[in-house]
Amino acid sequence: MNAQKQVAQAFIEMRASDPEASSALSVAQANMEAGRGLVGMRRVRVFELAGPLPPHAELIELLHRSNQFYNPSKERCVVRAETSDASPCVAGEQWVLVFERGGERRAGAERWWRHETGSRIEVREGVAWALRFAPGVDASASAEDITVTRDRRHGLLCNPNFQEWRPAPETGTVPMPWIATKPISRGPRARKGKAAP
Amino acid sequence: MSARVAVVQFPGVNCEAESVRALMRAGLSAEVFRWTRPAAELLAYDAYLLPGGWSYQDRVRAGALAAKDPLVDVLADVAAAGRPIIGICNGAQVLVEAGLVPGDGRVSLALARNRMPQRNGYYARWVYCRIEASNSVFTRHLEPGMVLPLPIAHGEGRFTSAKRGHVASLVRSGQVPLRYCTALGEDAIEFPSNPNGAEAGVAAVCNAAGNVLAIMPHPERVLDLGAIGRSVGGPWGRLRSQAMAQNPTEVFSDAPGLQIFEGLKRHLEVAV
Repeated sequence: MNAQKQVAQAFIEMRASDPEASSALSVAQANMEAGRGLVGMRRVRVFELAGPLPPHAELIELLHRSNQFYNPSKERCVVRAETSDASPCVAGEQWVLVFERGGERRAGAERWWRHETGSRIEVREGVAWALRFAPGVDASASAEDITVTRDRRHGLLCNPNFQEWRPAPETGTVPMPWIATKPISRGPRARKGKAAP
Repeated sequence: MSARVAVVQFPGVNCEAESVRALMRAGLSAEVFRWTRPAAELLAYDAYLLPGGWSYQDRVRAGALAAKDPLVDVLADVAAAGRPIIGICNGAQVLVEAGLVPGDGRVSLALARNRMPQRNGYYARWVYCRIEASNSVFTRHLEPGMVLPLPIAHGEGRFTSAKRGHVASLVRSGQVPLRYCTALGEDAIEFPSNPNGAEAGVAAVCNAAGNVLAIMPHPERVLDLGAIGRSVGGPWGRLRSQAMAQNPTEVFSDAPGLQIFEGLKRHLEVAV
């Protein structure tokens, strides 16, 4: 296998309507002030893979074949291997990432990958919430108010006592990498110049 | 007439029946209060129990959606008025996510995913919990240092906080009525005595007034001696073994879980 990429993102979403997103939307709309301007919500699981990765098509095939990442029968997966690749963001959506502080690594997936490919990579997982607000709503402020749990009235998607949240800095796309903020250790065959910031 | 306790059931909760049984065994009147009823009807009760299970299927995060429910607004009001509330397992997660524990209305704790060596996810076993000095209405009748064997069954039971030293300060201020320990009552330093990696081995947290308790182990599952697991040692384990060997009717004698509900009964006898 050729080591060609340093970081890739897999965005995984339910094929059918997502009950978790539906519940979060209805509770936010009914019981939270910031939720009144909310008109839509999607939940997307985000895997970030870092290390010596195979070409795009092979990467997609590995993710599809493994049971560590998603169930192709009920979920769809969009893989983004370059910042220029499209993400599943829809125009106008405010994306927010939530992950467990210190608990974002997926050891089982890393073991599977090494067993299958012989490569050591780092696998991180978080949940991205795509929030859509009514026109005229301050989407950035409302997204924070819906995300960061402070009390019964404010915050739902992230309990900052054990989770972190990161808003996408602009609508229509997400940062890459988004979960790993520290420099990612290079694999032995990593190509120069492709390290994550 | 005995005090009335509402066992508040959100969709996905599944320990309501044994919770009612535990309260009745302690001599209280108890009934299931389903989420479909008007929230104001909760005011008719003297105390409240939020049972274990998976409220709203644990969507978003365990307890997070139920914490926003209008029923919890009423529970916050009655808690401020001093009425007792106990949340067990998922009920504890709801109380923490609602900021009713430790109790200033702000969410300053989390019940995070278990941290266990070489394991992930849901974990069920018998643990030992040590009674700590506290003004919790559920445990203040018990001698500090007493060890209760109780079962746990959860995937998100690790008490933690973003604020450094917050959990330790709760221990110092007497807001931690139960901590995980060994069979001999020593501090639970590591897994599996501390089954989820909770800071300071915290198994339960109460508010400053002592009337609201969030407890991760399941006392409602240990009402009879015969319900104690065979792996359990210490005095309770010996009592169980003796009962099994010598007098089968003894297996229906009171067991450690009942102690928590006995505390509620004693409190209500005075308060109501």
